[in-house]
Amino acid sequence: MDKVIGETKKAFLTGNETVAWAALAAGAEIMFGYPITPQNEVMHYWTRMAPKYNRNFLQTEDELSAGFTTCGAVQAGRKAFTATAGPGNVLMQEPFGMAEAMRLPLVAVIQQRGGPSSGTVVYSQQEVTLTTFGGNGEGMRIVYSTATHQEIYDYTIKAFNVAWKHRFPTFVLGDGYQAKMREPMEMYDPEDKGIEMVAPYPLIGLGGEIGAEREPAHLCNIYSLEEELYEVVLKHAAEFEALSPSIVEWTEGECDDADIIVVSHGVVSRAADDAVKALRAQGIKASYFRPITLRPFPQQALRNAIARSGAKKLLVAESAYGQLERLIKQEIYGETIKIETLFNPGVGIIDYDIISKVKSVL
Amino acid sequence: MKVIGFSRQDSFGLGETGAMLNPQARWILRHEGDIIMDVGYGVHGARTLNLVEGADESPELKVLAVVNYTRPMTNSPARIIDFLTGLGRVDGIIANTHLGDETTLEIVCQGNRMIRDTVRQLGMDVMYAAVDQKFSNIIKPGDCEIPLKLIERYMPNAIW
Repeated sequence: MDKVIGETKKAFLTGNETVAWAALAAGAEIMFGYPITPQNEVMHYWTRMAPKYNRNFLQTEDELSAGFTTCGAVQAGRKAFTATAGPGNVLMQEPFGMAEAMRLPLVAVIQQRGGPSSGTVVYSQQEVTLTTFGGNGEGMRIVYSTATHQEIYDYTIKAFNVAWKHRFPTFVLGDGYQAKMREPMEMYDPEDKGIEMVAPYPLIGLGGEIGAEREPAHLCNIYSLEEELYEVVLKHAAEFEALSPSIVEWTEGECDDADIIVVSHGVVSRAADDAVKALRAQGIKASYFRPITLRPFPQQALRNAIARSGAKKLLVAESAYGQLERLIKQEIYGETIKIETLFNPGVGIIDYDIISKVKSVL
Repeated sequence: MKVIGFSRQDSFGLGETGAMLNPQARWILRHEGDIIMDVGYGVHGARTLNLVEGADESPELKVLAVVNYTRPMTNSPARIIDFLTGLGRVDGIIANTHLGDETTLEIVCQGNRMIRDTVRQLGMDVMYAAVDQKFSNIIKPGDCEIPLKLIERYMPNAIW
């Protein structure tokens, strides 16, 4: 596949444009989608550019179909993706569950909007639970929560490689602010950074005699017996848990000696970073921890930060009513550190909010 | 200055339907005085001008295309031509190459020269280059070989 970007250079673009360019650079062959704000421009820019690079697009009749057609395309060996938000993410949980069940290398970009229901078209972090543990499965998904346009670009490219290498559905979790905001970032062709893209491969229609020349390709999302399902789910869980240490990513700052650790993800972590710098400048021993992967969660890294810092409190800051907090509580069960919260469901959080909250709880 | 558009209160509670065109904006060309229309966000860009009554006929209306060489859609001569020819009516070009807070004089001049040379192929000239006034001490009128207009960025940062 020809290079898309050419010379590596800085560009000024929206998060949605960034997704479209990153998918092109990653070698995505087709996008399936259905319009919903704030991800619409992913589709718009993809449809503008796809014909120029011999790529394809199908607008389906709804998000259920967009998810299932993505499932179908990847089974046929096509590097496919979709993007959605809010109620669209809700509808896509059924195909996402199929991708979990059949271990399909599905890639989806979620630009969170307000909820519940149609909520707002603007921004939130209220799709954490849905994206990490949605559907009727066990959350065998990989979810990257981005904070900058550079990360949207980097992790969209990475998502395709992770999905096709490990065959767990992989998500890039952005939000409406990131989707619509413009900021500078560096666009590049992956090979120019030494990133080798995993070539897609068909999962069905394989040659060779089953049993003699190859193992059967069991792509199944329904079983006759409870015991069959039980074995498959346990096998997938074991593989997911074994893989998790090599997948988890996080960043942290000032965690060597702190009274409080601010935990946030995505775009809110930009505010946390600024807040911690300001608090340190005022002599307050604040620190921050940011999970980049929400699933699997970097639980050992957070436990280590708690132990190393000597902090007595965690402050969980999120633009939701406790979705990240629940995830943290489940992941660090047994820790005795007190958890404080700053919940702004559907509303942005700036450094001032975090600074004020830290001062009020220390 | 009078701003014609929906206020926060006007659109409160409308959800996605709040993104509708203010009726006054549809008839904006019938107003007296100097009128500036800011159109072009998103994929449909300047095509939204078709919502304004008289936009095709008004001899007073000038459609100025703002081009930023760091935008991926306009980061090469071929893409600039593709972009401009897709806009329909264009009466003038404003070169607006920048990278937000990461803008350098080199980026400004290199990009704007590229825009100037490219639009000449279409028989057009760059009217002026818009440059952040933070460069006022180091940029001279002849540096980019394009007339300059120094601008102040009133919202330089996002909320972070």
